[in-house]
Order: sequence, then C-alpha cells, then structure tokens
Amino acid sequence: MSDSVTFKLDGRDVAVPKGWTVMQAARRENVHIPHFCYHDGLSVAGVCRFCMVKVEGRPKMEIACNLLATEGMVVETTSDDVKQAHKWGLEFHLVNHPLDCPICDQAGECELQNSYMKVGKYKSEMHRPKVLKPKNLDVGSQLILDTERCILCSRCVRFEEEVTKTNGLGIFDRGDRAIIGTYAEEKIEHNYQENLVDICPVGAFTSKEFRFKQRVWFLEEKDSICNGCSTGCHISMHGKSNELRYYRVKPKHSAVNGHWMCDEGRHSYRYLNPEERLSRWWYKDNMNERIAGGKDEGLSILARKLKDTNIDEIALLVSAHQTNEEYEALLAYFVKELGISKVYQWRQDHEDINAFDGILLRGDRNPNTLGLQNALTKFGLKAEVKNEFEKCLLSGAKVVIALCPESPQSFPELKEHLAKLSEMPFVSAWSAHYLPEEIETISHTVPLKGFVEKRGSFTNHEGNIGELSDPFPAVIHGAVDVCEMIESLRELMG
Amino acid sequence: MAVIKVEKPPFDKNILFAAMNTFLQIFRGLWMTNKIMFKQLLKIEKTDTLEWPEQPATYGPRFKGRHFLTRREDGQVRCTACFLCATACPAECIYIEAGEHEDSRIEKYPVRFEIDILRCVFCGFCEEACPLDAIRLGPEFVMTGTAEDKWVYTKEFLADRPELSGGIQTMRGSNDKHPSIYHQASADERKSLVRHGHH
Repeated sequence: MSDSVTFKLDGRDVAVPKGWTVMQAARRENVHIPHFCYHDGLSVAGVCRFCMVKVEGRPKMEIACNLLATEGMVVETTSDDVKQAHKWGLEFHLVNHPLDCPICDQAGECELQNSYMKVGKYKSEMHRPKVLKPKNLDVGSQLILDTERCILCSRCVRFEEEVTKTNGLGIFDRGDRAIIGTYAEEKIEHNYQENLVDICPVGAFTSKEFRFKQRVWFLEEKDSICNGCSTGCHISMHGKSNELRYYRVKPKHSAVNGHWMCDEGRHSYRYLNPEERLSRWWYKDNMNERIAGGKDEGLSILARKLKDTNIDEIALLVSAHQTNEEYEALLAYFVKELGISKVYQWRQDHEDINAFDGILLRGDRNPNTLGLQNALTKFGLKAEVKNEFEKCLLSGAKVVIALCPESPQSFPELKEHLAKLSEMPFVSAWSAHYLPEEIETISHTVPLKGFVEKRGSFTNHEGNIGELSDPFPAVIHGAVDVCEMIESLRELMG
Repeated sequence: MAVIKVEKPPFDKNILFAAMNTFLQIFRGLWMTNKIMFKQLLKIEKTDTLEWPEQPATYGPRFKGRHFLTRREDGQVRCTACFLCATACPAECIYIEAGEHEDSRIEKYPVRFEIDILRCVFCGFCEEACPLDAIRLGPEFVMTGTAEDKWVYTKEFLADRPELSGGIQTMRGSNDKHPSIYHQASADERKSLVRHGHH
C-alpha cells in the first residue's frame, strides 16, 4: 500500500493516492473547505490564504490546497479556530471590495457571497475608505474587467499561462493597489476568453455577451452536449423555459472537455432563440401559393408528394447535426422500408476535418460526423466522410429531403447551399434555423427542435457518446424532431 | 297518517311589552340618526365623512400606494436594474430590462422598468428589497381608470409624476449612499433618511 496514504479528516479515515493534497481529498469526500484561488483545472498558487485547516501537532494553521496528505496526519476543518480563520480571512478579502453586487453580473454565483453566507456573517470592523481602482475596462472582445472587485486570486493569470498559453494577463503594482491587467493596452483575443469569466470567483471578469441580460438566479440549467464541433463538450444550457429564451452556455466538467469550452461553442445559444428559429411549416397550397400553415397540412402535403414520386427520384441530404437516434429512425424508414438509395452527406465545402486548435475546437464543425457514419454503415451505405452536396444537386432527384445543419455559425455556407437547393423541383427543408430570404424560395419546410430540446445522443470524434438527456421545452410551438417526423410520415403513408 | 295534537299555548302578556319595546328601540335609533343628520346639515356638528373627491383625502406617510421611482440630483433614475425588487415581488409584476449606461461610472441602468399594477398586491416588498432607495410606494391610492387605460406603468410614468412633488421627497443626492451598505455614510445623512420617515 505504498501508493496510497491514509489520514484523518475531521475525525474520519480517508485514503487517497500518494501525492494528493488535503484540498483534493476534501473535495472528493465532500468536505467543504472555502477557497478562492484553488481550481481543479489549474496549478496550485496558494495566494488567497483562505482554505486554512488545522493539522494536529503543528503550531500554525496551513492552507489545504498546498498541504500534501501524509500518512497518519490529523486534519481539522471545522474547529472554532479554523472557523475564525475563515471568517477573518474573508473580511480581509472584502476590505477593498466595492460591494457593488446590485450591478454585478456575478451576484448569485459569487464565491464572496457564498463564502459570506457559509463562513462569514461578521460585522465589518473596517471603517476606512476603500481603495478605488479602474472599473469597467474593455480588455477583450468578450470581456469586461473590473479591477475593484478583483481579489487577486490569480486564477485568470494561471489560466492564460497554463491552458491557452497566451500569457495575456498579469498582476501589476503592489499591496492594496495591486491590479490585474493586460500588457501595454493589448487585448485578449483568443477563443477561450469566457472561461476567465467562469473561473473568476468574483465579478472581476464579466462576459460582454451575457452582460446585464439576466440575473443568474432566474435561470434554469439543463445539461446538454455542445453542437459546435466534433469534440462534443459537455455543457449546461442556461435559459428560462417560461420566457422561451436561452441566455448562455457554461461548460460542465467531464473527461471530454475538462473544465473548459470555447467561446464559439458558447455562442450556440444565439441560434436557438425564437427569432433565429424556423417557426412555421411553409408550403404551396392548392392555389399554388406559398403559405405558412400548420403541422397537419404540411405533413400531408409532404406525404402526398412522397407517394406520388418514384422511389428512385427521392433523395435524402443529411447533415451531421442530428442525433444518433434520429439517423437511425430516418434511415430505417427511408432506406430499409421505402428502399431509397440516394442518400447524400451534406457537409461544408471548405473544411479541414483534422484541424485542431490544441485545446478543444476541431476543424470538423459537425457534432455528429461519426454518428452519421455509423448509421450509414449500419444500413449498408458507403461510409466515407465527404461532401456530396453537388452530387445531390446533379442527381436529378424530384424530391429532396434536406436535414439542415442547425447553426450557421458552424456551417457558414448554409445560405448559399439553400439558395442552390431551392432550384431543385421539390425540396423539403427540415431545419431548426431560420433564413428569411432562402426560406421564401424553398418548396416545403419543417421546423425542427434545437439540440437542447431533443433527447438522444451525439457521437464525438473519438467515439464517446454524449447524452442529450434533459431537454428544454421547444421554444417553437409545433417544432418536431426527426423521430417524430418519421413516425407521422409512416402513419400517413400507410 | 298520524295526527299530532298541539295545544294552543296560553296568551302571554309579556309579548305585548316586547313588541312595544321593539318599536320604541326603532324610534330611538331613528331619533339618533335624524338628530345627527340635522345637526350636521345645519353645521352645528362637524362631520367625519369626507366629500371625496372634492375634498382631498390624505393618508399617513407610511401608506403603501402607487409606486414611484426616485431620481438622482442630475435627474436620472436611481434604479440600477439589480432586479432585487423583481425577485422579491410575490406577484411577479415587475419587469426590468437592464442596459449599459453611456456613463461608464454608472454602468447599469434600467432601459425598461414596468409594473403591471393590476397584478400588484401593494405588499411593499420591492421598497424593502431595494438597496438604493430607488423605488417607493407613495401616497396615491386612486388608481381608477377605464379598460383602455394603460395598466402597465412604464419607467417614465413611475419616475416622472409632477403631482408628487412637494410633500414627499422624490429626489436624492447622487452621492448619497444607503447607510446599510456603506459605512462612510455620514451621521447627517442617516438623520435625513429618518427625517423623511422612510426608515
């Protein structure tokens, strides 16, 4: 048992691997030690001096984050002197904190507020004016910095050093005038800026994207999988289901993405809000006029069209943005039951599938490339990742069912592709995204649910299956997913 | 079919007295009513009834009536759109939309601040929750209107009602800070808050 050590934490025996700190052990055991500068994804700095614990036999208290667990050690985290240390440690952090919680976006998820309620609750003994520092600084394309709120935990500096390796931030000046800042008016421009907002335990970094939009305690969180690229980061979507709006995306710790995610993925919520979504079933009525109508009429028009057309003249154009379950249902019906052989993959014209930025973002901007390949192979179709959009245009199909990519952010050519598609005789575009001009020219549209509104799974580039298990109610009334669509079609076609 | 034999009760003389007493009490009551009516009609006695709305009715300073938003000295609303009133509101009648202020020292301000007065229960929690003394419930209790009237009070309406000037303070200095969150607030200021009967 040389690679594990046993020590006493608050009176119970805890066995951890050798080399673990007391903080790591306490986090695993759900023993709460208040902390600011410690972060699971970053190196230990030990600058906030807040995670004090008492070790038996040692004269002074020590910080848990930098205290190696050793055999037979007796650690106390709840005794009165430890509580006092936390309490006055917190007051020391708040000496120059402006307490502008009313205008601070972090309020509600702020470690200072949480710590005050857990270990603080003192009456302040500070009666000196606070040190004033620069506020509301524009330090990056996604960031606003407020140096007054900062408690100098240096998490952001370490993030820039260790994760993005851009070294964009530093601590300048000394003592109570020390501030976080960028070098020589340079701005932070990388694609991982909003992680700084997440790791900042206070409201020093706030996101321009989310700034003042909503108070965090009003938001509902539901776990999902990012659809921005084939990495498939685990995320939690924050929205208000009674308002039918999404507000922001945060990463969720997992083996796939660690603690981080990229800004591009965080912006996926924009394309899920009602104004960006296809909301109606468009089709031509009996008088050959385009109208936006209801689900029943739209479905029966599509079913009639499919019935009247030769099986050889029906084509499927499938993007890699739908879930495994949807591909399964789609191909089981069209390929196995109806016997359609024209199934085309719909991908970007210019893409470098193997590109990788070294952290998370991959060149393959489709969340479920592997899932589509697996489904195609299962139904005996060639499975090779390539763009067959042009092939579909030249196939001479009379009816094309196009499963559109979900967000134009990860599929920039969506607009021109749809324009080209609209020249085909009959196209049924199943889309979650709304493109006002193109949608006018497409013969038939089906509003799909967004990825946070469906159940199912994505298979990422490594074959990891990410579950979409906790859907929001669809923000578009009458939106369907592909499985529901296939079920309704099967009923109508008999 | 069973027949129940009921004996006629003997005549009770007291019932006459009871009946007479009833009429007597009625006339006593009417006498009192008429006496006061004529006294007040002839202005011999003062009446407690107000001839509202011709005569103004006033309530105490703590009355929780129609809301208003206070202003800074420079005329801007004090509200910083912190949403605490909307959070505290049990009727969920406050809608706020926050925005970036052009003055970077102020940062956040309400682009829209609306109260659906038909939903409001006048509990005053918004006033209590406000850290900046930006919303108060005022003395107005008359909120009659027709169906066409707007029942959702906008920020402009809440912050700009000239009829409220005078009796109550609707403006506070821009450097004033609430004593409960800022220790530096001077003794004078604390006094001034007390004087206006707000705390």
